Amino acid sequence: MKGNKFKGIAVDGLLRNNPTLRLVLGTCPTLALSTTAMNGIGMGLAVTFILICSNTLISLLRKVIPNAVRIPSFVLIIATFVTVVRMVMEKFIPDLYDSLGVYLPLIVVNCVILGRAEAFASKNPVLDSAADGLFTGLGFTWALTLLGVIREVLGSGSIFGVELWSFRIEFFTSAAGAFFTYGVMIALFNALFAKIDNVKKRKEFYAAYPDAIQPEKLETKTEEVK
Amino acid sequence: MTVKQFFKSSAFKCILVLTCIALIAGGVLAILNDVLYVSDEERTQQAIKKIYGQAVEYQEMTVSEEKAVNEYGTIDKVYKLSDGNYLFKSTGTEGYKGGTVTLWIVADFEGDTFKGLDKVKVAGNEKQTLMSSFKSSFTDFYTNNDDLLLEGYYFDKVASEGNIQNVTSGATRSSNAFNRAVNCTLYFIRNDMEVAR
Repeated sequence: MKGNKFKGIAVDGLLRNNPTLRLVLGTCPTLALSTTAMNGIGMGLAVTFILICSNTLISLLRKVIPNAVRIPSFVLIIATFVTVVRMVMEKFIPDLYDSLGVYLPLIVVNCVILGRAEAFASKNPVLDSAADGLFTGLGFTWALTLLGVIREVLGSGSIFGVELWSFRIEFFTSAAGAFFTYGVMIALFNALFAKIDNVKKRKEFYAAYPDAIQPEKLETKTEEVK
Repeated sequence: MTVKQFFKSSAFKCILVLTCIALIAGGVLAILNDVLYVSDEERTQQAIKKIYGQAVEYQEMTVSEEKAVNEYGTIDKVYKLSDGNYLFKSTGTEGYKGGTVTLWIVADFEGDTFKGLDKVKVAGNEKQTLMSSFKSSFTDFYTNNDDLLLEGYYFDKVASEGNIQNVTSGATRSSNAFNRAVNCTLYFIRNDMEVAR
């Protein structure tokens, strides 16, 4: 039962409710920081760490924080963790700190973090909230990294900073290129999910009504009648 | 509302909770700020490590305000490195949308004589949108033209007398600030640096 619950949280965070590709949250850093794959991973992991910590603390304090001041309290908690991440990055990973620039402190108002705090952590137990933070963060990370890989390969002819070829399409490093690539990724991901959902629904339907005729079998049945 | 009622009200609970969170967060951040503080010296050491791949001893040189600014931009910092070379932090103006590009530049010196540019790395920028299009081939160009630099050449987006062309297609105005940051250092070495004359 517990295992199934965590599996559900994992699938939700990574795929079904992926913050970047399904919920379209945190779009500002997604578009701005996906010029390189390394930026994508860096930003993703920073958000993951903050999500785990803030979800855990908010879940711990959910019965103490009055409803009227829950949003300012969440913002205070998230801002604290963001500042900690900034300090650690500036001290130990200055290159990444420089390349993330203004988008690092802007994590404070990232919809993914505030959204999960409000929708999940403030209503669920600590372990579940921490797991939700972890998987939502990883979902954000893989989407941002994939977007970064595509834009870096096509726009800069390199991957993770390693030059592949001199061919490059500048469009992909621009803001318009970011919107285009992001849009195509959302469309493909949602089309794939729609297909998977259809198959799942059909399976559930025929499991519930085993006598129902399936469309592919309908043709042979009609021929038999003839 | 009496004082007793106030202390029992939800408003007081809200104030108390928010104050407690703010105080605890402030305390934690104050301690971490002390532990994780990055001094100016560390920042310079990080920049040197970024350029050299290892820590090198250095001595900061003082530059007068008058000499720090020239027609190409500003010399922000000058360091003499233990291997005899000089490290410059210079900002080139007139970039894309009037922005700037700041570079770390290592100038190769043999004794007191300027021998060319050794390394060029990006330290930062303002209002530049196509920084990712500047590959190592673009920055390496600055360090591969020492013969012309010794003759007094500068870098520009178009080739002309006294100028070597260095440009990245589609980002000409950004490469302008890039070139000007390098030119700013070259100008300083040629005209304002006592040791290099």
